[in-house]
Amino acid sequence: MAKKPNDPTEALAKLLGNTLSGGVVVAGIAVLALLFGASTAFYTVEPEEKAIVTRFGKFSDTRGPGLHFKIPFGVDRVMLVPTERVLKEEFGFRTKLINTRTEYSQTPDNLAEALMLTGDLNVVEVTWVVQYQVTQPKDYLFNMNDPGRTIRDVSEAVMRRIVGNRLLSNTLSGAGRTEMSIMARDEIGSILNEYGMGVSIRTVELQDVVPPSQVRPSYNAVNEAQQERERLINEAEKRRNQEIPRARGEAQQLVNEAEGYRAERVNRAIGDASRFTAVAAEYRQSPEVTRRRLYLEAMDEILPKAGQIIVAEPGGNAALPLFNLDLPKRSAGGAQ
Amino acid sequence: MTVVKIAPRRNRSLGGALIAVVLLGGAVLFGAFTAAFTVQETESAVVNQFGRPVREIKDAGLYFKIPFVQEVRRFDSRIKAWDGEPNEIPTQGGEFIWVDTTARWRIVEPQRFMESVRDDQSARSRLSDVIDSVVRDQIAGTVLVEIVRSSDWGRPTAGQPAVKVAPTTPKPDDAPDGEEAAGVPGPTDAELAQARQEAAALEEKVEMGRQELTRRILDKSRVVVTDYGIELVDVQIKRINYVNSVQEQVYKRMISDQQRRAEEFRSEGQGESARILGEARRELATIRSTAERQAQIIRGEADAEATRLYNDAYAKDAEFYALWRTLDSYRATVDQRNTLMLGTDSEYYRYLRGVGR
Repeated sequence: MAKKPNDPTEALAKLLGNTLSGGVVVAGIAVLALLFGASTAFYTVEPEEKAIVTRFGKFSDTRGPGLHFKIPFGVDRVMLVPTERVLKEEFGFRTKLINTRTEYSQTPDNLAEALMLTGDLNVVEVTWVVQYQVTQPKDYLFNMNDPGRTIRDVSEAVMRRIVGNRLLSNTLSGAGRTEMSIMARDEIGSILNEYGMGVSIRTVELQDVVPPSQVRPSYNAVNEAQQERERLINEAEKRRNQEIPRARGEAQQLVNEAEGYRAERVNRAIGDASRFTAVAAEYRQSPEVTRRRLYLEAMDEILPKAGQIIVAEPGGNAALPLFNLDLPKRSAGGAQ
Repeated sequence: MTVVKIAPRRNRSLGGALIAVVLLGGAVLFGAFTAAFTVQETESAVVNQFGRPVREIKDAGLYFKIPFVQEVRRFDSRIKAWDGEPNEIPTQGGEFIWVDTTARWRIVEPQRFMESVRDDQSARSRLSDVIDSVVRDQIAGTVLVEIVRSSDWGRPTAGQPAVKVAPTTPKPDDAPDGEEAAGVPGPTDAELAQARQEAAALEEKVEMGRQELTRRILDKSRVVVTDYGIELVDVQIKRINYVNSVQEQVYKRMISDQQRRAEEFRSEGQGESARILGEARRELATIRSTAERQAQIIRGEADAEATRLYNDAYAKDAEFYALWRTLDSYRATVDQRNTLMLGTDSEYYRYLRGVGR
């Protein structure tokens, strides 16, 4: 016989007939769920991390490195925070890693980070790196939204305040750079502590602190001019140090020559004088003989050297040579 | 009449129990998913019933609400960043500068927040209105140096200039010589001028300074935004820059300052070099002339000495000297070019005539 299709009890009974097989399905789903839950109940924390665990949203525990258990199905939530790694933010430039080489690049946006006003209302370009570490992972996660962005904003604001409080020449100097980097580290750190951010600033390292590029050539020109000045002065000194000793040497030589002259002159005078005195003494002994001898000796020397010798009669015609000692070759026309 | 085959009583009760269990489990789960909710550590929440807030939750944890009737609005309760657009603002001195401010804020009263601004985006826009206007007012009422410098300007914490010079002492004229002895030239006029400028700038008193300025901006902005359930944690001036036209002027000034310094270094180098060489020339002339004078004196003394020696000797036999010296002179001066005239009565030719006495 046909069943009445609109009998609810009968439909329910049909359904219940399937409950046993339905029960198997339900049991199967339950087992799968348990397995799924088991797989999400364990987590590992790497050595450079810490894990912050919340239960039903509320903070429950901090866990160190290793394998840990949590209640699955959304009851426990685990957030991993790198606490041992030193993180860094770059300002005014970016480092790019090309294969194994590092290159520094500066886009116009980067340049905007770098340009700032100094206390004497000049403009300077400052590039720097902030290195920090998460020291309180719980605070780091729960107190600040987008901590990286805040670190960047505060770093820029602090660096500008510090540079704005210094003379341009001070920011370019080594001592100034050192002071600035220490002050920045302390100031950024204290502001972030006020926010309760849970990070600690390790270092603020200044990279380049230079005048803006449009102005830089004139600064370089000053350095060159300084070196030029040194060079000119050194060369002048060098020349002076070469010429003075040489002049002194020449001067000494002049004096020595004069001394030499003196010695020669005096000695010659002594020699001449003593020769004369000796001969004069002999002369006094026998004047006539000495006179004649000296005269004739002189003639020995003089007459051969003379070009022409004319012996003339006193009072006679002087142009008439009576005795010519010229040798033929020396006279054009000889007279007898 | 139809006969309905009814299942045995045993299956029926078992089936009924199973239905009950499944239905109960389903109801529990259903309730759990729709009535229980968690609030994270980073959140705060407001429970709304039919669009009206009935409960404000600020602590994290597990909470329950009436399903369907109540719904939960969550808010990020952490400190958040607000970053304004850079604005061109005139200072009290009339210079236009770009000012870029940034702030930290957080929702402290989620219910009031929800009722007034509803979400983060409109909160940010409201913050912009407030902060930008306060910043504009403050900057317009302050001179540029007070904005750029801080309250400890001029003291050692603000850095010292490279070349220290008291602004009221004139150029120390003996310094260059003293330092040159050590091989290092003293500061040039341009350097001293710059040092004086810097020292003068350092003496300017700063009434307000950057920190005080930001404090005022924060104080004025803070009170307004509490109406929105917001706490303004702080406001920082992230960037201040000249507008392009002013920057060009500043660069021109910097360049011309540097060019002047370079020129002074160069000309000082040339001047020093000329001075050193001039000194050297003077010294050379002195050395040479002294030596020449000495040489002349020596020669003069030598000549005098020689003359004295000759005179001493010759004066004793003046007549003999005449003969002696004249014969020497004949020897020296007579040569091929000379013609000698001798008389036949000369001594020399006496014996040519005969050997008589």
